[in-house]
Amino acid sequence: MSGTSNSQKDQITTSQTAVMVINYMLGAGILTLPRTMVEAAKTPDVWISILISGTIILASGWIIVKLCSRFQGQTLFQFLPEITGRAIAMLISILVISYFLAISAFEIRIMAETGFYLLEGTPSWAIVMTFMWIGLYLILGGVSCLSRLYEIILPITLVFFLIAILLSSRIFDIDHLRPVLGSGITPVLKGIKPSLLSFTGYEIMLVALAYMKNQGKANKAMIAGVTVPVVIYLITVIMVIGGLSINGLEKRTWPTLDLMRSFEVQGLIFERFESLLLVIWIMQIFSTFTVTHYAASLGWSQMFNRNFRPFVFAMLPVIYLIAMVPKDINQVFNLGDMFGNVSVYLFGGVPLILLFVSILRKKGAKPE
Amino acid sequence: MKRYLLFVLRIAVAVSLVLNTGCWSSNEIEDLSVYVGLALDVAQESKFEQGIEKQGASYPKHNMLTATVQIVPPVTGKGQKQGGTSSEQATTYINEKLTGDSLIQIFRQFALRRDRPLIGHHLKVIVVSSELAKRYSLEQIFDFVLRDNDIRPSCLVLVSHRNAFESLSTSEPGEIPAIYLAGLVKNRYRSNKIIPPVSLIKLDSRMQSGSSFLLQNVITSENEHKFSGAGIFKGSTKKWIGELNEFDLEGLSWFSFDVIGGAVKTYAHEGYTITYEPKRSNSKIIPKVQGDDISFHIKVSSEGSLMEDWSFPEIPSSEEYMRELEKLFEKQVNKQIQQVLYKMQHVYRVDVGGFNEQLRIKYPKVWNRVKEDWDETFSSIPITYEVDMNITDFGSSND
Repeated sequence: MSGTSNSQKDQITTSQTAVMVINYMLGAGILTLPRTMVEAAKTPDVWISILISGTIILASGWIIVKLCSRFQGQTLFQFLPEITGRAIAMLISILVISYFLAISAFEIRIMAETGFYLLEGTPSWAIVMTFMWIGLYLILGGVSCLSRLYEIILPITLVFFLIAILLSSRIFDIDHLRPVLGSGITPVLKGIKPSLLSFTGYEIMLVALAYMKNQGKANKAMIAGVTVPVVIYLITVIMVIGGLSINGLEKRTWPTLDLMRSFEVQGLIFERFESLLLVIWIMQIFSTFTVTHYAASLGWSQMFNRNFRPFVFAMLPVIYLIAMVPKDINQVFNLGDMFGNVSVYLFGGVPLILLFVSILRKKGAKPE
Repeated sequence: MKRYLLFVLRIAVAVSLVLNTGCWSSNEIEDLSVYVGLALDVAQESKFEQGIEKQGASYPKHNMLTATVQIVPPVTGKGQKQGGTSSEQATTYINEKLTGDSLIQIFRQFALRRDRPLIGHHLKVIVVSSELAKRYSLEQIFDFVLRDNDIRPSCLVLVSHRNAFESLSTSEPGEIPAIYLAGLVKNRYRSNKIIPPVSLIKLDSRMQSGSSFLLQNVITSENEHKFSGAGIFKGSTKKWIGELNEFDLEGLSWFSFDVIGGAVKTYAHEGYTITYEPKRSNSKIIPKVQGDDISFHIKVSSEGSLMEDWSFPEIPSSEEYMRELEKLFEKQVNKQIQQVLYKMQHVYRVDVGGFNEQLRIKYPKVWNRVKEDWDETFSSIPITYEVDMNITDFGSSND
């Protein structure tokens, strides 16, 4: 029943699809995003870079939707052979799967690293193990299970996140964001690249679209799925730079966490908000981890036309091992940059080529 | 067989759940020493340390700094040897001193000395002595503090005129000096001699930006404390180079941060005291660039009330009289500003007034050109200023 054919009841609604994209995008990146962007751009104008890269992502998302809607009810792994033939399809599929595995591992590792703040002293395997096992249990339920959980997670994270980050307005200083475009547009462009890793996530549409009940609305889901993270990232970067200034955040490993640690609120039930942020953010990391783990396992199963479940189990140790490869935190961050680069080519470039080829070779149905 | 196995597994899981309640590496708060204050001084070994060193209890180190931590609550019974001077009343804190050359190593030495290890989550205040900051750069002194993930970046940083550990002691029973110092900065609405609080994260961003900055100065005498003036730290070295006194700070406050309280006292021509209480103020530093010449113009306007007038016999608060007094207050504020500008430009040759920020915002290209050697450039830049004081009311009495 699972594996080859996408069963009828395992379907998701348009809003669930959007939520899935949002949850995938909002991941570990937000904790380091302000720093990576400022490091590259050296200007407080990086919020403009976010807007620009958001637009770029929307464009590549549109291409993916265009491509997928030519093959109704099929995932990338299923329709690839039709476009390119088996051999190349295999190659691309393996690349995409490895990418999903790597992102999955990356999220796991970042979570283990931030455990330094939340659970100092707990060995990372203990955190990671519970995390991965619960993820495994969830993934076995299939795509509708995943998206139902994400629907619960998203409002919680958004509400708490907004409360926490807006409370930092007490240390916000608009002068830290001025002057706008003081050093011209070039640094802003330099800031685009580092923000792309945080924007990876739209590629899940390559898989998710096949499960949508109403595939005509895929574009809507995509737009909503990209806009929400863009707004969240925008708020985050503005508040972090406004609160810490670009000089202050450049040397902080986790600037978004440090923003939360830089103020205390008296009179509310909580005085300190970093644990709150971390806890809700771990939910986001969890959703990114599960969705990529799911996509990777699904990829294998559809590529080999085999049952889905064994692959879910098989990928578990693989992800763990990849997560433990980087020796220190700098390697983790470098790895993250690398994935960002890979994602640009893999999901920005390849779908465009595939779309052209499929149009030229008249493969797939023309979307109405 | 399979069913039996499953049953055993279920039991095992259930049992392990029961056994694993609680947190992995939890520490009971009763078993920890929560320190709320930290004072950093030049090395000055305590009697205890001299005593133990005579017995050979030492490890390889240079004596570079002495760290004093203020711990609350104390271990009842034995912790009173170094506490406050009030012997009868149980003190609410204890101060512990150790000397060494690495802050983290010093902190870990406490583990050899008390059963309850230190925990930094609640550190409120760090006081660094001017003497220590004169010798070492703040970047070196604060390196550990900024790296440590227990200590929050919201912790307040002060500089002390004399020994920093003195500012962590009090003769008032029931008072915790660290909390008391952290509370003092909230009084900005009562005095414009208090600079906006500099937390660790602000200190870090100022150090990274390379500009000179101020830290509130705390002066101690007879176990009592007062905020007085501010220590000046040079941007290029991050070392203490001098102090602004209270009067300078008042002048600085008019243009460098918003005045929301305080008192401007001056004398009328006849010699009696008059005092103005500012309610709000507006200031602007306007940079001007013409070719290669940079200049600044400061505009200050303030509204407040005439709160004290020693004229005898009393002069009724007529419109005319108010205008006359406004002139006198303006003159006084002008004097304050003039003095602090002189100190900044000619005595210490640093910009701690936020002129660099305004130039950076308004003329980013010019700023990029001059930022390398800004403090020197700044000291020869012409600065003009105008002050506009408005007495909007005169309290409950009008004569």
